[in-house]
Amino acid sequence: MKVTIDKWIGVSTWHWNHAQDEVCGICRVAFDGTCPTCKYPGDDCPLIIGECKHAFHMHCLLKWLTTESSKGLCPMCRRRFKTATE
Amino acid sequence: MESQNAHPAAGYSSLKMQDAPASAVDGHSVTKRLQSELMQLMMSNVPGISAFPVSDSNLCQWTGTIAGPEGTPYEGLTYKISMTFPANYPYRAPVIRFVSPMWHPNVDMSGNICLDILKEKWSAIYNVQTILLSLQSLLGEPNNASPLNAQAADQWDNNKAEYKKSLMAHYKDIEELADE
Ligand SMILES: [Zn+2]
Ligand SMILES: [Zn+2]
Ligand SMILES: [Zn+2]
Repeated sequence: MKVTIDKWIGVSTWHWNHAQDEVCGICRVAFDGTCPTCKYPGDDCPLIIGECKHAFHMHCLLKWLTTESSKGLCPMCRRRFKTATE
Repeated sequence: MESQNAHPAAGYSSLKMQDAPASAVDGHSVTKRLQSELMQLMMSNVPGISAFPVSDSNLCQWTGTIAGPEGTPYEGLTYKISMTFPANYPYRAPVIRFVSPMWHPNVDMSGNICLDILKEKWSAIYNVQTILLSLQSLLGEPNNASPLNAQAADQWDNNKAEYKKSLMAHYKDIEELADE
């Protein structure tokens, strides 16, 4: 049998390398989903990981760090939040 | 797999820090967050605590109950609280008040609560469930160093029988409370 392909549609899946089934502690949405202010997961709504190894949607964390009560601390462990350098 | 696959917005993926929704007051995301908390509370069904929105139309106003922990003077009693969520919750703490009259070193006669995690120790990862559980443990472990109710603090330290008496004199059954 000979088959000719007229047309194909590529479909792919992706997820962040970091802990796929975990949720962002701030917005409680899965890391593979978006923060509440974004529409599309992925590069537009990246994750941020601290030296303390705690991860959040970057938008959620930035929003937290702008509040007075954050005092620049990680919401999980209350250590000064510094982005992990790989 | 890496995170680089295309999605519908791939053409616009350059990330600008100033676009982070830092100042946006987003009522929609509060609603979403509170809905997910409500679901979680209903599913996990933690004994001794409950909370739900007062009405369908305003998800930012909740009412809750806390059962006194066993082995404390509050055992067998149930207290009603009100929770008001700000538009930027969880970045700011909700305002929590005891609706039931409360006799406790860290609660004043209007029901205002002095608890560090609701003030300077607030964190965006706290939620209704952690707040209710913290309040419940506060009942059995008051912080007598900085009391709002000095008489209660004194009784707690020096005369537990008097404490229980005062507590019962103020206590109102949850059924007798007028709806707010
Ligand atoms: Zn998030
Ligand atoms: Zn986002
Ligand atoms: Zn941390």
